[in-house]
Amino acid sequence: MMNRRLDAELWDKMHYLFRDFNDRMVHVELNYDFIPDIEALRTVLICAFEKVPVLHSRFVDKKLWTHWEVMPYNIDDVFTVSHPDNVEDAVEEFLTQYIAPTEDIQMKVALFIKDGKSTLCMVENHMCMDGGDLKLFLQELCENYSRYVSEGISPVSFRTGSRSYADVYSGFSKTEAGVARRLFKNINERDNHRFPLTEDNIRDRSFIARKKFSEETLDKLKVKGKELGATINELLLASYFYSVYELAGYPESDKVMISNAIDLRRHMDSVNDKGFTNHTSWMQCAIPERGKDIFETVKYVVESSNRFKKDRFMGLYGLPLLNFGYSFMPHAVSEEIIKIGYSNPLMAMSNIGILNGQHYALCGKEPADAFMSGAVKYKPFVLLTATTYKKVITLSMCVRGNDEDKEIVKRFFELMEKNINTITG
Amino acid sequence: MNRFIDHIENTFKGADNSHDAYLYKREVLDSMTERAKEVARSGLSDEKVIADLIKDEFSDLDAGFTGYKKKKLRSKLLKYALPIGIIAFVILTLAAYFITSGVTGAWGKTWLIIVGGVFALIIFCFILLIAKLCSMRRVFHPIARVLLVICTILISVFAFLFLHIMVPTELFVWPTLLGGVILALAGDLIFAFGTKQKLRTISFFFYMPAITALLYVMLAANGAVTWNGGWPIVLVGLAVDFAYIIYIIMSNMKYFTYKQEVEE
Repeated sequence: MMNRRLDAELWDKMHYLFRDFNDRMVHVELNYDFIPDIEALRTVLICAFEKVPVLHSRFVDKKLWTHWEVMPYNIDDVFTVSHPDNVEDAVEEFLTQYIAPTEDIQMKVALFIKDGKSTLCMVENHMCMDGGDLKLFLQELCENYSRYVSEGISPVSFRTGSRSYADVYSGFSKTEAGVARRLFKNINERDNHRFPLTEDNIRDRSFIARKKFSEETLDKLKVKGKELGATINELLLASYFYSVYELAGYPESDKVMISNAIDLRRHMDSVNDKGFTNHTSWMQCAIPERGKDIFETVKYVVESSNRFKKDRFMGLYGLPLLNFGYSFMPHAVSEEIIKIGYSNPLMAMSNIGILNGQHYALCGKEPADAFMSGAVKYKPFVLLTATTYKKVITLSMCVRGNDEDKEIVKRFFELMEKNINTITG
Repeated sequence: MNRFIDHIENTFKGADNSHDAYLYKREVLDSMTERAKEVARSGLSDEKVIADLIKDEFSDLDAGFTGYKKKKLRSKLLKYALPIGIIAFVILTLAAYFITSGVTGAWGKTWLIIVGGVFALIIFCFILLIAKLCSMRRVFHPIARVLLVICTILISVFAFLFLHIMVPTELFVWPTLLGGVILALAGDLIFAFGTKQKLRTISFFFYMPAITALLYVMLAANGAVTWNGGWPIVLVGLAVDFAYIIYIIMSNMKYFTYKQEVEE
């Protein structure tokens, strides 16, 4: 019998094209002070997979066209439970794994148990959904688990629906949607400033570097943000700029750009009737020079970001062109042509935002710590991810590199800390 | 199993006592049972969850029954009506050929009936194929466009043969082949706009002058217009292009002149 097929949507194809830039894995780690009901978790995961079939599909690239082929699976291939001696190492090893789009499953989950505590980890192919939807997916997973365990309600309440990129226009009026659908212009510029990592090497391995900032730092950033007219994200971005100038030794007069991931769901009327997918684009933040101090850098960042914020169609530029490119040419040809016009940002930042503990609570018990990060980037590309849980900001950078790269990223985080401290005074 | 039967009986509001309804319910039950086995193979052991999950998947049985009836009708048509229709058509064509030939004694001309019949059959099959291709991915649509062009060429070839054999003068004969090309271009254009093909506007800009130029040659060759006086027909194609450009600009003007309300 022929397997069921799903359409490969625009963002699925785009993230497939990103295979040259990153491993496309999105990572989640939730630490609980208790051990959840493993059998219940298996049941909820199976229901989630049944409701979101793209998670147990393989991506088929026929050169002329592409699609997802829904595959049979067993939950044991998806969900593993282990009792490692060193949970930290086990988590690192699990999170840095790579799931090829041609595999039968696109998400893997692990539960590491030690001393009555547990760590729930998840890796997922970005082609299926982005960080924004993964947050919602996790929330539904935890809610379904809680209802199933405490009330015996079958865990079948998962969002289903369209995965089309065109849903981003659903919140616009007819005229606005007409305008947005004609934004063929690619407004992103190329910038050759690189994060100073070492050259690529066959022995490079994926690693996730993290840096936490205390609750106190966040409070101070909030106060300082109000004073400077900047958001927390803009302050983090300014620190990113300033730190990278220092780390890479760019001339102070150089114009540098860092792309900032933006959630296009802001344009949608509702996501409740939509399927899990990608709706993320880039906003290119450029500063004309480093600035005499970090505060001037903050000013430049705010100015640059305000220009975008005033745009009703923020993040939607170039989407119609991508859609046009993919819709009338054979897939292989589309890819080659899009590659010519598309420049992947060398430095980027993704603020996944606040992770609400209540959303990830299992039977009312919130995780002690939670963390999410974007894909492992291949050199020379880097992505700084920020998540906030219980007022603690975690910055992370996933890199495929060597020990020297680890030291460089560590040094970068030290500079970030120094610059954030300068801002907060 | 009983859970699924109860679900089918409770949710299938359109249930009548027809044999079709029974077959549909039986098909749904088989599908639900098969899905349940599939989910169980994935590792799910809670029977209640399996049942709820599957029932959720098969929630709109009324809509499913409508689709089932349509599918059944289509398959009946393909299974019985199509072969019977083709056989009847072949018999009628042969009968028309022999009767006409026998009555008129014009055996040298009546073979056109056979050619026409064969062409009509090919065109009919191509139309079915085009309909099938249109329901498939867009990457297959160019094949449908090629088939459509072949259909129009077959029609013009038949018109050419018909005129060549039946009309005593050669005057109108060869330009019918140009008419075939015009028909092919026009057909392709209608297909492109009807199925909202990408680049259809570009096709329009190229096709219109080509169509009017061919029309000019065809009419002039037939003597309907003079070679010297008929050339403005070509300009009509360009004028239509120009009018279409104006129409596109006008209908998109509101998007180009849209002023954003700045959100502070």
